[in-house]
Amino acid sequence: MIGILPTLTETSRTSLLRKPALFAFVLVFAALSVSSVFAQQHLSKRYPVRSNVRVELKNISGTITVESWNRDEVKLSATMESPAANVSPRQTGDGLIVDVMADNRGRSDIGDVNFKLQVPVNSSVDLETKRGQITVSNIRGGLVRAHVSSEGDIELNGISASQVFAQNLIGNIFFDGEFSRGGTYQFQSGKGEITIRIPSDSAFSLVAATPTRRIALGPFWNDGLKSLGDGRKYTGDVGDGRSSVMVTTFQGSITFIRK
Amino acid sequence: MNCEKCQDLISDFLDGSISHQDKTTLSSHLEECLHCAEVRDDLQSIVGFCRTQRGQYASPPNEKALWLRIRNMIEAGASVAASAPATTRKSFLNNWTARSWELSFPQLAAMVAAIVLIVSLSTAVGLRRWQSGGAVDAKFQTGQNSLSVGATDVRKRVSQQQQLISYWNQRVEYNKARWNPQMRETFDRNLAVIDQAVNDSFDSLSKNPQDEVSEEMLNTALNEKLSLLKEFAEL
Repeated sequence: MIGILPTLTETSRTSLLRKPALFAFVLVFAALSVSSVFAQQHLSKRYPVRSNVRVELKNISGTITVESWNRDEVKLSATMESPAANVSPRQTGDGLIVDVMADNRGRSDIGDVNFKLQVPVNSSVDLETKRGQITVSNIRGGLVRAHVSSEGDIELNGISASQVFAQNLIGNIFFDGEFSRGGTYQFQSGKGEITIRIPSDSAFSLVAATPTRRIALGPFWNDGLKSLGDGRKYTGDVGDGRSSVMVTTFQGSITFIRK
Repeated sequence: MNCEKCQDLISDFLDGSISHQDKTTLSSHLEECLHCAEVRDDLQSIVGFCRTQRGQYASPPNEKALWLRIRNMIEAGASVAASAPATTRKSFLNNWTARSWELSFPQLAAMVAAIVLIVSLSTAVGLRRWQSGGAVDAKFQTGQNSLSVGATDVRKRVSQQQQLISYWNQRVEYNKARWNPQMRETFDRNLAVIDQAVNDSFDSLSKNPQDEVSEEMLNTALNEKLSLLKEFAEL
């Protein structure tokens, strides 16, 4: 029995090679099948907007990347994994709304949607996803909100917004930017490292808490800060405390770095 | 935002004529307050029903007779309501003014003492409340506001949260079968992280019931769990 099997395989391979038309058909069919399984759909649209536009994006699963540019328009690019989700952006009076959740209500098996948005530098961005990484770069508008309901890193680079909220459950949070006078900044993770990179002259009122006791305030440490619960929480002012900063992680560290 | 303000705004919210700031505040309140969320759902169903009917309702049988009965009932109710308090008020005023207010010296002294006692007590209570209110505000400003001390309060609050959590958990379990395996794994992994945080906080609190940091962590973790369940319940 074992001796017969290689003979049969050899025979069928030889017969297939002898019929080039049949062989080509099999190849094309296989390629089409594979491409339909791994098919991606692309969407690319541009919207003329005012410079301080508000962009709201609610994704289910997939990455979100937001970058700024010097144009008064939003460019939205999306790559949709199979089964492809419906993505129907809506332009409203004060901005652009993309709600994958609402556009696909009742559909339970849609593939990831990976977004890339290019927005004016003074935009406000409100981004949500159930799962996936969020990256925002060089935004100087009123609001930057990045909310990952479950897992996904959040990376905010070159941010100078007056309100910043970054929240995830599993994943790291990295913030590089400035704290504006009177601004509010909240960073919360369930299981992840939170790193905040800010200028050395930053002034803020701080509440930082983690049960792991790994809070490194680096150059921002001063005697006015109060340690509570054996180093699990620090509160107090850095400088004149002109903005409010709240950082919490259940299982991870909190690190402040000078720019 | 409190429930009263929230319920004032729900109608505008459903009409879409609400400011963005109010919308954000209202949405976060609705996520936390089950009662208001139910009010919103009810109103949404009513509005939805009215919109689908577009003013076309089936008339009840003998519509005129029905309206007549309603009007009679309203009129009868209004006349009773209008007459009753007037009578009561009049008799009470008559008694009050007609009464003789001649008091003996001991009666007068007792009355003065009683007034002094009531004023002193109310001043003391007022001052104490004002001072404790100030303390709460100060706590809030230093970021230590999340939980008050007292194990009973914690247990009560946790029990309330647990009820909400079990409600949303049921909804998640109902929908979970439809999710793809990857999403199910993600959800379970994340729920485990939150449960770990909840358990760690409980452990710390069982060792030291006055530990405010653990109370705060417990509260945050429970809120986080609730919000995870709500987010995934809508999938």
